[in-house]
Amino acid sequence: MRKLLFFIPFALFIGLSMFLFSGLFSDPRQHGSALVQRQLPQFQLPDLMQPEKRWTADELKGEPYFLNVWGTWCPTCNAELAFLTQLRQQGVRIVGLYYVQPLDAAFGETFDLKALQQDVQQKLAEQGDPYQFNLLDEHRTLIFDLGVSGAPETFLVDADGVIRAHHVGDINPQNWSALAEAYQQLVRK
Amino acid sequence: MIPEIGQLALTFALALSLLLAVVPLYGSFVANQRALLLAKPLAIGMFVLSAFAMGCLIYAFLHSDFTVINVASNSSTTLPWYFKMTASFGSHEGSMLLWVSMLTLWTALVALFSKSLPLLMQGRILGVLGLICLGFIAFSLFMSNPFARSLPFYPVEGRDLNPLLQDFGMIVHPPLLYLGYVGFAVTFAFAIAALIGGKFDSTWARWARPWTLAAWMFLTMGIMLGSWWAYNELGWGGWWFWDPVENASFMPWLVGTALLHSLAVTEKRGTFKSWTVLLAIAAFSLSLMGAFLVRSGVLVSVHSFATDPSRGLYLLVFLLLVVGGSLFLYALRMNAVRSQARYQLFSREVLLWGNNVFLLTATLVVFLGTMYPLFHKELGLGSISIGEPFFNQMFFYLAIPFSLLLGMGPWVRWKQQTLPPLLKPLTLVALAALTLALGYLTLTQQLAANLALLGMLLGAWVGMSAIGEVWQRMQQLGGISTGFGRLQASHWGMTIAHIGFAVLVIGVAMTKTLSIETDVRMKIGDTAALGGYEFKLLDVYELKGANYGGQAAEIAVTEQGQPIAQLHAEKRFYPIQKTVMTEAAVHARLSRDLFVALGEEIAGPSWSVRVYVKPFVRWIWLGGLLMALGGLIALLDKRYRRSFVAAPLQEPEQTLEPQQSQEPANA
Amino acid sequence: MRIVMLLLCFFATLPTLAAEEILPFADPKQQALFRELTHELRCPKCQNQNIADSNAVVAVDMRKKTYELVQQGQDKTQVIEYMKLRYGDFVHYQPPLQLSTIWLWLLPALLVLGMGLYVLRKNNQQQMLVNDDVSSELDAELQAMIDEVAVKASAGDKPV
Repeated sequence: MRKLLFFIPFALFIGLSMFLFSGLFSDPRQHGSALVQRQLPQFQLPDLMQPEKRWTADELKGEPYFLNVWGTWCPTCNAELAFLTQLRQQGVRIVGLYYVQPLDAAFGETFDLKALQQDVQQKLAEQGDPYQFNLLDEHRTLIFDLGVSGAPETFLVDADGVIRAHHVGDINPQNWSALAEAYQQLVRK
Repeated sequence: MIPEIGQLALTFALALSLLLAVVPLYGSFVANQRALLLAKPLAIGMFVLSAFAMGCLIYAFLHSDFTVINVASNSSTTLPWYFKMTASFGSHEGSMLLWVSMLTLWTALVALFSKSLPLLMQGRILGVLGLICLGFIAFSLFMSNPFARSLPFYPVEGRDLNPLLQDFGMIVHPPLLYLGYVGFAVTFAFAIAALIGGKFDSTWARWARPWTLAAWMFLTMGIMLGSWWAYNELGWGGWWFWDPVENASFMPWLVGTALLHSLAVTEKRGTFKSWTVLLAIAAFSLSLMGAFLVRSGVLVSVHSFATDPSRGLYLLVFLLLVVGGSLFLYALRMNAVRSQARYQLFSREVLLWGNNVFLLTATLVVFLGTMYPLFHKELGLGSISIGEPFFNQMFFYLAIPFSLLLGMGPWVRWKQQTLPPLLKPLTLVALAALTLALGYLTLTQQLAANLALLGMLLGAWVGMSAIGEVWQRMQQLGGISTGFGRLQASHWGMTIAHIGFAVLVIGVAMTKTLSIETDVRMKIGDTAALGGYEFKLLDVYELKGANYGGQAAEIAVTEQGQPIAQLHAEKRFYPIQKTVMTEAAVHARLSRDLFVALGEEIAGPSWSVRVYVKPFVRWIWLGGLLMALGGLIALLDKRYRRSFVAAPLQEPEQTLEPQQSQEPANA
Repeated sequence: MRIVMLLLCFFATLPTLAAEEILPFADPKQQALFRELTHELRCPKCQNQNIADSNAVVAVDMRKKTYELVQQGQDKTQVIEYMKLRYGDFVHYQPPLQLSTIWLWLLPALLVLGMGLYVLRKNNQQQMLVNDDVSSELDAELQAMIDEVAVKASAGDKPV
């Protein structure tokens, strides 16, 4: 009994090392979204290209889709456009949620929709256009409600408007398979 | 050419460390005196070579040799020479070499200053240190070579040192911190050597004590300087953030403090043996774990290095071998050791055990707060964050009983103490503490039932008790004038360190409770009022430094119309790293700091300015410095020197055999 | 330096205007609550910073939202719940109290208890063995010195 007592520190240390080992292979910056398995929050946002058209959460229902948060200012987002475009060609539905960075009104920066539209069009022409359409979130309201901390982030939403998965960072051929499986499942339903 | 020479020196150091790890330990098992005698020259040679390698790296930085990747990514031609020097340990690779230099320095010091230790013990200690050096030198050389070249392509200009590190703090903080971190390797080696030999008497504790004190002192200074640096440089007015990297240095400190106290019991009373050895292993293990946490990317921190899983894996395997191995050895060897000393419930032994209870629990709290998010996530339970609210809550509850015990500890005798003789002095101390705390807070009209009051009370209790106790001892030794010199240095050290703790507690409690701040938008000529002070923005102008630009603000501070100071706050922009840095302006007094940070420009033109008044914040670092000073003074105690002389120079031949416990189970 | 001095003289004559707070609060309690919240909420994008200390876009947005909610009169738990609904438990530096996190408080308490009980038990075992001549001693060396002083003092008292 007394002998075993002296092995406790050793045993605790071995247990700790196992956690440290598994910690080596997971990214501490990745943390799950609080939104998964919940309804997409309500919103009313203009279409980036036709601002007079306003989208609501209900209008997006009907078939599963990826909601991809992005911006032309974000290099990683631009890097994933090509792969996302491939996915669109395979019939995957992707809706863009355009992340507008805050402007400094103090220095005469004002929101210029025309310039933004041109910028986006140019970028999509260069890299490929994966989006069915883009939501314009000028004040980052939906982005805030979704708990988005940066771009790119992608949500998988099912036909009933429930968020099924969340991905931080770019989608690429290496990490696509997990999302693809979840998506295919939703499509088959 | 110089970097290659440095790399060569490091390679030779690796070879020597390998020899040091093998030869003396082998010698200790086969009783080969020549093998044992080899330990000292090997240790010294290893240090000289590592220090030389560090010198070569500094040379490469001073000469902006951008063919060396490390130099190109962490320095630039525009960097002032002293930051070029410190840039040599600003990156993972460079800091690892600094770590190795410090580790080999300690090893060499042990070799030089342990003449009086039995040869066998010397050989074992240096052998264990050699093993640790081997692991780290190999890591530096093979996993993170600071001398790696990028030839044939190299940049004409470097990527500059991270602006955060371009501060006076960088010059002193890492060397001191590392001296503390790796200093525990020595205590660790003493413990392992004793485990191999199976001999634990109070001489062992007496040998290990000064080394532990030295490491602890450096770690205390390193942590305090780090805190002071963050306060000045991060621009948030904070002095401790409970960041994983800070926690990684705090845990060995807490265990090291517990170890110092437990060693005292083992030295004086020959008890707590297995506990002391466990703490000696734990202090260094936590240092190693800290290195792993900072360099593996397992945790998210503000100041972690660029990470790489293969490095993390190496360090983890090393951790497993060193810590796992030593804990296994501990389990095998230690269960046979029993101590026979007896003590009553009210005795210094038990109070020091109480000290260990709370220090260990504090370590557990920091450990859980740091690691639990990782456990939680790896178990698939989701991400959580643990930060200031949790630690504040837990440390609040730990500090109260700890301080109460600490105020009593030094008065209580070994073995047994009866209450009556202590009643009078302790009542006096309590009354003095009450008067001081209530008096000060009433006079400054800050008396309220809050943390400040509690902190003041506890701090005054600990401080007055330490002063009262040393006063009484001096009286016993024939009055103040004679007693002053007669009292042992270690007693003075303890007293000063305890006063340091009292000062720290007061500083923390007062700053936490009574700090005030305001975020204002200021045009030139505007004033902001805070805590009875008026801050007037006199001017903002363009700034041009050697490797940065930006804006500087001149702010006049007045108190009831009387000018106090003119503060100079800067917002710097470092173009190479594209980083904005806040250089806060601080006006320091013992009773309060005025802290002004210049924010961004807002249309107008006006500027956002953050102003703090932080009462007693200096006391936090002052307390830390007093603790370190206490450690230094205790280190000067002649007892340690005398004991070295008194120690037997040679052990009898038969003890060369590793043996079981020296002590009978029941005396 | 001269220019600074000149400026000093110049500005000293300007009428002083009180600077306005960037995020003004009518109620100092709300202001205190806002400070507390921005120090306890974690910036989800940053390495390890609260939203008061970070200037990342998301931290600025969260600060604004916190300001709005506090202005609306929401209390601490309401604001934190609002943030947790969007950013998860991760966003608050105080972990939630639940079955999976109870150990954060329980383990330290158990350690104090265990180490306390250990010394009590050990003491009980010793009590049975302890002999009566417990000579209380200080640090032996210190005691020896004190004794020496006492002896000398008493020797001094005696007329020789």
